[in-house]
Amino acid sequence: MTDFKGNNILEKMMHEAERCLFCFDAPCEKACPINLPISTFIYMIRNKNFYGAYEKIRESHPMINIAGFVCPEEILCETECTRSKIDSPIKIRELHNFLTLNFSKNQNLSLPEFKYEDIAIIGGGPASLSCAFFLRELGYKTHIFVDKEIGGIPLEEISNYRLPEEVIKRDLDFLKNNFIYKLNLKKVKSIKDLGEGFKAIFIGIGLGDEIKLDIPGIKKDGVFYARGLLRDLKNGKDISFGNRIGVIGGGNVAFEIANSLKIRFKEKEIFIIYRRGMKDLRCYPEELERAKNLGVNFYFQTSPIEVFGDLKIEGLKVQQVSLKEVEGEKRRRFELIDKSEFIIPLDNIIIAIGQKIEDGAFPEIEKENGLIKVDENFMTNINGVFAGGDCVNGGQTVTRAAGEGKIAAHKIHEYLRRV
Amino acid sequence: MFKLRDLSINFLGIKLENPFILSASPSTDELEIVINGLEAGWAGAILKTTSVEENPVPLKYPMMSSFGNYYRRVLGLGNIDLISKYHIDEVEKRVKILKERFPEKLIAASIMGSKKEDWQNLVYRLKKANVDLIECSFSCPQGSMGEAPGRMLAQSIEATEKVTRWVKEAAEDTPVLIKITPQVTDIVEVARAVKKGGADGITASNTIPSLLGIDIYNFEPYPSVFGVSSYSGLSGNAIKPITLRTIAEIKRNVDIIISGNGGAYSSRDAIEIMLVGASNVQFCTLPMVYGFRVIEELKSGLSHYLEEMNFKSPSDIVGKTLEKIKSNDELPIIEVKAKIDKEKCIGCDLCFISCNNGGHMAIEIKENRIPEVNIEKCVGCALCMQVCPVDAISMNEKMNEKEVVFVKR
Repeated sequence: MTDFKGNNILEKMMHEAERCLFCFDAPCEKACPINLPISTFIYMIRNKNFYGAYEKIRESHPMINIAGFVCPEEILCETECTRSKIDSPIKIRELHNFLTLNFSKNQNLSLPEFKYEDIAIIGGGPASLSCAFFLRELGYKTHIFVDKEIGGIPLEEISNYRLPEEVIKRDLDFLKNNFIYKLNLKKVKSIKDLGEGFKAIFIGIGLGDEIKLDIPGIKKDGVFYARGLLRDLKNGKDISFGNRIGVIGGGNVAFEIANSLKIRFKEKEIFIIYRRGMKDLRCYPEELERAKNLGVNFYFQTSPIEVFGDLKIEGLKVQQVSLKEVEGEKRRRFELIDKSEFIIPLDNIIIAIGQKIEDGAFPEIEKENGLIKVDENFMTNINGVFAGGDCVNGGQTVTRAAGEGKIAAHKIHEYLRRV
Repeated sequence: MFKLRDLSINFLGIKLENPFILSASPSTDELEIVINGLEAGWAGAILKTTSVEENPVPLKYPMMSSFGNYYRRVLGLGNIDLISKYHIDEVEKRVKILKERFPEKLIAASIMGSKKEDWQNLVYRLKKANVDLIECSFSCPQGSMGEAPGRMLAQSIEATEKVTRWVKEAAEDTPVLIKITPQVTDIVEVARAVKKGGADGITASNTIPSLLGIDIYNFEPYPSVFGVSSYSGLSGNAIKPITLRTIAEIKRNVDIIISGNGGAYSSRDAIEIMLVGASNVQFCTLPMVYGFRVIEELKSGLSHYLEEMNFKSPSDIVGKTLEKIKSNDELPIIEVKAKIDKEKCIGCDLCFISCNNGGHMAIEIKENRIPEVNIEKCVGCALCMQVCPVDAISMNEKMNEKEVVFVKR
């Protein structure tokens, strides 16, 4: 009965479960993008029905092991916890992890016979796997189409310090063994590539390309794009860095790369360079805290102008920015300040300013702001073609993507059974 | 540093510095432990029930088990203990030692016998040792001696009266308390028998026969004595409601002094026990679980209560509640409605689910999860009030234009 560090936490978890109020129509469950039955599993923990509690979450979320590590509970379930109006929120994610780490022995599933049609699912990340998970449970044959292997961002990009590999493997093995009818290693860039035979299609291709930064000198050696770099680092590729590394951007990817580099190279100086202020950051609060604790440095209200240096990078020329609250606008409006240019001496520059759908993917599908456009049923402009996950929401959490895959699965069922 | 109210009382002619005494229990079974308890500030002690030398006391271990939650681990404590392994020869010595050392404290002894001569012999020897008071255990649930072994003496009206008479005859002017059990068909009959037998008072009451729990994986009852067990006497906060009812029922029907015992865990609990008619309160499980130091809270809590309520002496609160206890058919039929304090409400909606699954479907949820009482449907059962975790619900009661509000304080 341990946490992932091996500490015995049974007593602590029982105490935590005791604090839960078991709210009716619990707000934590509503705040969860996949509506995990939180109050039910905590009630079961309180009554020492640990295996039942595990089964409850295992059947509600295709990636419970992964979610237990990467879910930003401080911006999801725990923010809505009623108990925080009395003292402090229930540590929901810790309780969740307590179950996945200790009570997962039951692998004896009862799935229905295949009684419905074949469904094509394009992509192998959380949204696609979730769609497959829930469709299989309804009795559909799920055909996954993916370039290399299933796993998506958790497998390819999330750093080991946040998500150990064996944790990912547990979810992926579980899904592979039970919920994927056929795994096709094939790059699909258009619906035509699938051929005939599928009654419905789900697209969960994520965001394959990174948004490029267009400033002079950006093509120099030593400039990297964050996600490609994360993948290379995770694959063990040997990359040499200088002593001062700048990361341009203020989202989770920027923090992921900055933090993982700082953990890897304690002696190097890492800078996050962001054109807005600290309160405009789009990363999880937990990641910002981690960056501060690790000793990552920050340049706020600083906009990149030019990569500076002759043969190798010597620095980044930046300009200061002023921010103004404007009524009716969510984010503060920024303006460059004249004659405020200065140079941050750097050896490497990493760009993490955003992502988009791979160029040229699914030309027949309507897009909006670089993302796939869907209606309230997660259906695209083509009948029977659904989409969800990052390629629709622009890049959120694992559980959000899985939640969309779940809704899409039920909508596909509704669509096919009504037709 | 702060001056407490005078908490002294007169109990059966004996002056007690406060109404809190240690009951016959493991806390009073070793001389050194009793000394520690009295030094901590308890007003007196009733030494654990003793018997004549020939009586074997085959104690079994482990003897305790309990249930509770993570906030209060020992809500109920069960034991398969018996009377003291120390016989009268040892106890009479201790009474002498304690009486010399603590002349101002109540030094009492509890006895159990079978034959008339045993009971009376015990009394004579204790009197000789200068004991202040004698308590007779008629109610140890884990077996008794005498005419019907295994059965509690106080479960027989005739035996209760008869043995009480034997004891009082020997005790003469030394006060005698009879410790009874709540496990009877009619507690009033038993109390009457005690009074008829001539005792000075009743100790109400004792642990309650119970089975504490079972290990569902090997079917062994608790406490498991190498795989088997027997019924336990249940004590602790869990039995307080039964004690309150037992004392109230005796006091409403029989004019007799009562020493309250069973389930008090705090000064507030003790005050409640006095309000239904106990002149003092005995403690056993509380000091066993938290130690003798709890006397500080008991004294300070009682003192503040007297201050706040403007009572001169603890004796003034004895029985204050009795006139307010009625039979169900004497209760007035009034109009009651639940009222939710929206400032206090945290929106857990437990009241909603209770009312809808176990009440009268009279609570609805409005925006922001705030529950609202449908006055038309609400009958005023007060279930919602019990489940609210922040005490945001009160009951508004109306009769003849008069209104009162029922809240849990």
